[in-house]
Amino acid sequence: MKINVVINGDAYTPDCQPHESLRTVLRREGFYSVRFGSETGETGAAAVLVDGRLVSADVMLGVQADGHEIETVEGMAPRMSMHPIQEAFVATGAIQSGYSTPAMILATKELLDRNPDPSEAEIRDALSGILDRETGYLRPVMAVQRAAAALRGEAVPDIQVAVVPPLSYDLGGETIGDPSGLPAVFPKVVPHPEVPETTVVGKPEFKVDALKLAKGNPAFVDDIEMRQMLFAKVLYSPHAHARIVAIDDSKAVALPGVKAVLHHENVPRVRYASGGQSYPNPLPYDQVSFDNKVRYVGDRVAAVAAESIEIAEEAISLIDVTYEVLPAVFDEVEAIEEGAPVIHDEDGMEGAHDASRNVVHHISADVGEVDASFEQAHRVFEQTFRVHQVQQTPIEPHIAIAYWDSDERMVIRTSTQVPFHVRRMVSPLLGLPVKQIRIIKPRIGGGFGAKQEMLIEDIVGHLTMATGRPVRYELTREEEFVSSRTRHPQTITYRTGVDAGNRLVAQEMRVVANTGAYGTHGLTVQMVSGLRGLSSYKSPNKRFRCDVAYTNLPVPGAYRGYGAPQALFALESHMEDVAHELNMDALEFRRMNWTTVGDPIDVAPQLGEGEPDDDFIPVVTSSGIEECVAQGERAIGWHRRLDPDWKTPSDKPHIRRGLGFAMCMHGSAIPGLDMGAASIKINDDGSFNMLIGATDLGTGADTVLGQIAAEVLGVPLDDIVVYAADTDMTPFDTGAYASSTTYISGMAVKRAAEETRKLIVDRAALMLDESPGAIELRDRHAWSTDGRSVSLADIALSALHQEQQHQIMGTGSYVSPESPPPYAAQFAEIEVDIDTGQVTVKSLVMAVDCGVPINPVTSAGQVEGGMVQALGYGHCEEMAYDDNGRMVNARFGPYWIYRADEMPRIDTYLVQTMEKSGPFGAKAIAEIPKDGVAPAIRNAIADATGARMDAIPFTPERVWRALQSS
Amino acid sequence: MYHRPSTLEETLALLARPDVNTMPLGGGTALNGLALEVPEEVVDLQALHLNQITRDGPLLRFGATARLQDVVDHEWTPPLLRDLAHAEAPNTLRNAATLGGTVATADPESGLLAGLLAHEAAVSIAHVGRTEEVALSDLLADRNRLAGGLITSVQIMLGGAGAWERTARTPADTPIVLVAGHRTEEGDVRLAATGVAPAPMVIDVGDIDELDPPSDFRGSSEYRSHLAAVLAARVVTRLTDGDGS
Repeated sequence: MKINVVINGDAYTPDCQPHESLRTVLRREGFYSVRFGSETGETGAAAVLVDGRLVSADVMLGVQADGHEIETVEGMAPRMSMHPIQEAFVATGAIQSGYSTPAMILATKELLDRNPDPSEAEIRDALSGILDRETGYLRPVMAVQRAAAALRGEAVPDIQVAVVPPLSYDLGGETIGDPSGLPAVFPKVVPHPEVPETTVVGKPEFKVDALKLAKGNPAFVDDIEMRQMLFAKVLYSPHAHARIVAIDDSKAVALPGVKAVLHHENVPRVRYASGGQSYPNPLPYDQVSFDNKVRYVGDRVAAVAAESIEIAEEAISLIDVTYEVLPAVFDEVEAIEEGAPVIHDEDGMEGAHDASRNVVHHISADVGEVDASFEQAHRVFEQTFRVHQVQQTPIEPHIAIAYWDSDERMVIRTSTQVPFHVRRMVSPLLGLPVKQIRIIKPRIGGGFGAKQEMLIEDIVGHLTMATGRPVRYELTREEEFVSSRTRHPQTITYRTGVDAGNRLVAQEMRVVANTGAYGTHGLTVQMVSGLRGLSSYKSPNKRFRCDVAYTNLPVPGAYRGYGAPQALFALESHMEDVAHELNMDALEFRRMNWTTVGDPIDVAPQLGEGEPDDDFIPVVTSSGIEECVAQGERAIGWHRRLDPDWKTPSDKPHIRRGLGFAMCMHGSAIPGLDMGAASIKINDDGSFNMLIGATDLGTGADTVLGQIAAEVLGVPLDDIVVYAADTDMTPFDTGAYASSTTYISGMAVKRAAEETRKLIVDRAALMLDESPGAIELRDRHAWSTDGRSVSLADIALSALHQEQQHQIMGTGSYVSPESPPPYAAQFAEIEVDIDTGQVTVKSLVMAVDCGVPINPVTSAGQVEGGMVQALGYGHCEEMAYDDNGRMVNARFGPYWIYRADEMPRIDTYLVQTMEKSGPFGAKAIAEIPKDGVAPAIRNAIADATGARMDAIPFTPERVWRALQSS
Repeated sequence: MYHRPSTLEETLALLARPDVNTMPLGGGTALNGLALEVPEEVVDLQALHLNQITRDGPLLRFGATARLQDVVDHEWTPPLLRDLAHAEAPNTLRNAATLGGTVATADPESGLLAGLLAHEAAVSIAHVGRTEEVALSDLLADRNRLAGGLITSVQIMLGGAGAWERTARTPADTPIVLVAGHRTEEGDVRLAATGVAPAPMVIDVGDIDELDPPSDFRGSSEYRSHLAAVLAARVVTRLTDGDGS
């Protein structure tokens, strides 16, 4: 039926089906800022204003809007300009992936239209319907405050860095004023005297992709329209473990509008591993596109391409599958016991440690003489912990569109973190050479590791090959929970020996890890658990033993932190309790034992970081941990842990308060493996095109890399036009994972910029009749020592049009032999209701040493958002299953991620160190915020109540039971 | 098939058809979002003007299509119901979801329903040719009373004081158990809880031991019973200490 609506002031009469959501109708009309996050409306990515009220367009029918006025963000500002609300979101760093930014901007508009001077609580209420997995809501709240001030006509400050005086060292005479009066929106940086002055690097530059994201311009996978496009749906297994005895697709094939039905009987059986990793992908290759066996509820059975989603759904329901249901096993410890059902019993199963026992990998690492050291130790402590399964929940689920281009090459536009790996990995599955495949990563709405996977690209590729037509496939929210990737559950045992002086003499970590139905990242995630779990503290003797088990759970893969959050929950809980047993202050005990500059990272070569036979043992090259602790202690009010009146408030008899600490150490990329590359060319006006393989998934990578280039080339950031992550157009990059982009791709950009700079300098020397050594680039000019200059535009015109013509262009690539560790101090303040076990997190403070933050705003945003994800991991999120292995809470409501209106206080300090191996002193920052929150909360619960939790998440009943038994 | 009738009579006639599975459509948050049941036809109530909030002495009547945000914003809404309507959903859904829809879907975890039960709310249900008033507690116990009819309003008596307590994973999460209480001006206290039965229900402090709550991953039956006792005691203390509002 036709409806009459006014959209952004213009009358429309779209045709719509009675069951179609308003989101579907608006997107079809070209309002791409209205985005899919969930069918049930909780994500708010599709929020629009209907008669001025903010409503989730997921749950409103198009027909319900008949006769109403709708506003979307497309109506807020004309081309090449922004509304003050949009400007505020850009300036404050409130935009990461930008997927839900249009909805937040509309929420702001709705609020400020009725309340020009809202309180923080009112702002948080206005944002409460829009879930954000990226920013931790802090900067969006600041954006609303800034927008409100601007719209009231008040002056808003330029965003600067709040320079915080160091507490553990002096700056050599330089004094810094008190930063406490500065606006909270300024990122807090503790300077280090070794860090040189820079012009663009270290500055809170606006994101290079901010305009398109703030304005909701079409930029994501789903924001293109392909004629003749088909829609895919996948039939997923209802059983945790079953053989497919027969599959009858005749009714589905016969359904009008169905163009292809694919399953194991008509798709070649090519074995692969789906984890997006460098060549050669780690074994085992235990997956095929469609198998004759299913191994978890949510495993693939068949795929359909049809003229509409509804037809595809109906076709799926018409595929008749006969299953022979097999016994299933879900717990990793049970899975490797005698007699457990064998999950990979197929022929040709290679590369698993012992598939007949469900042991996909056995990993070990040894340093020193572990057994003898435990025997000689003064005291030995052992504890076992369990960490559970959670999902990354990017607000944009996995989505891919495949099509043949005019050269009959396969193009796959996909929401991925690893476009180059996807191209290489999908090639044998489709039977197409790499040269015939192009992967395009447009803007993507978060990934957090879930998209470090070749997950659905083979499906759209197969369907496009089968039909000749473009095919789009987008996961539903339930499918994203169950059929994409998750975090590995583990059972972790630590054993630690100390000498009479309380120094570690031996430390052992034993892990049984659960990799679900398929190996994918099973080897490398667990190697990182061992590496991170045995690197924070200096023990001369160390041992890591790990069995990785197949089970019938949905498949774990990469999730920001990659094995470290599991390990550090156990390690930092264990260290706290060892200190308690030793009657020592837990922070002092750690300080006595933590690694610092010059200490070896001695398990690294055995756990995938370098060659085990190599004599090279990496060492810690920079550490700001002491300063991080000092800043964090002050910010959290650490002295209160000794104040009984604070801990046991007399007016709240059932409340206990506590403070907790966790020390974090991470890495910056995989040494010897992660590679980035860049090319930079000059344009007529002295601007530059920078092509990079690096994959910005909302983190600000394109911006940070642009800043590095701009710094070298002496131009402002907006003279660098960044294009990234398109396998036809850009140089190679391993992708966005392992905290590698700033450190590795950043060095590649720096090299490309330096090569470009050399050509510019040579040309300037020619034009100025100077020696190249005397030329300096700054302010878009090349300067001679005597003050003469020539603009980059003139240099470009000369080189491209006038004299000894050639393209000024540089390329660079980089692989690092080392992986300098960022360090951090994580603090948490909590309250426990001792009658119910309910834990309320009041405050999280992280002080992090990421070397030199290239962009303090995006860096702080990484920490804020990462801490909030980590808060969910420790506090409330869990994938829950029934006895048959079916996830019972595959929806945002019952799963629960934190909302804007319930956040603890979040505070971030960026503590500089000068990491000589990194670009302009940078180390990584993206993953370390995931490492310390769960143990810091756990240790705070112990501080408040004496209950020592051995499992996450700290949901009320778990804590109540721990309180009962403590 | 979508209908948007402008009279109650038309609406009831559409809903009363025995051979067509037809459902009333308020905001759509449950029907479109959760797709609990997919009806053949829907009857959109937006043109019926059932969204008024009116008052007759101490009787406060919420029209069935009043949105949860309207309940939150209205000056006459008692604080207990304002808080619970606010806690029911985030703003993007409160701006769509209706009070009548909340009653009709009988969400077992709806704190607002518990608050209405504590207020001894009554529900007006229109059928072809008649309207009946049913106690909310009776309707939640027997949802067949709604068959073929349409909720037109929900009413409570103003006065007295309310209090509520809840335990949840996070501050804005749907509570595992929530207890809402209301003390009338005469001093009678009535409690209702979520998370202890398949639907929100009136509870009695003395009979909490007899509850047999369903278990799920957020709370075992034993734990839910424990919470009900702890939270009920707290609510009663607040109501009798005059801490309620």
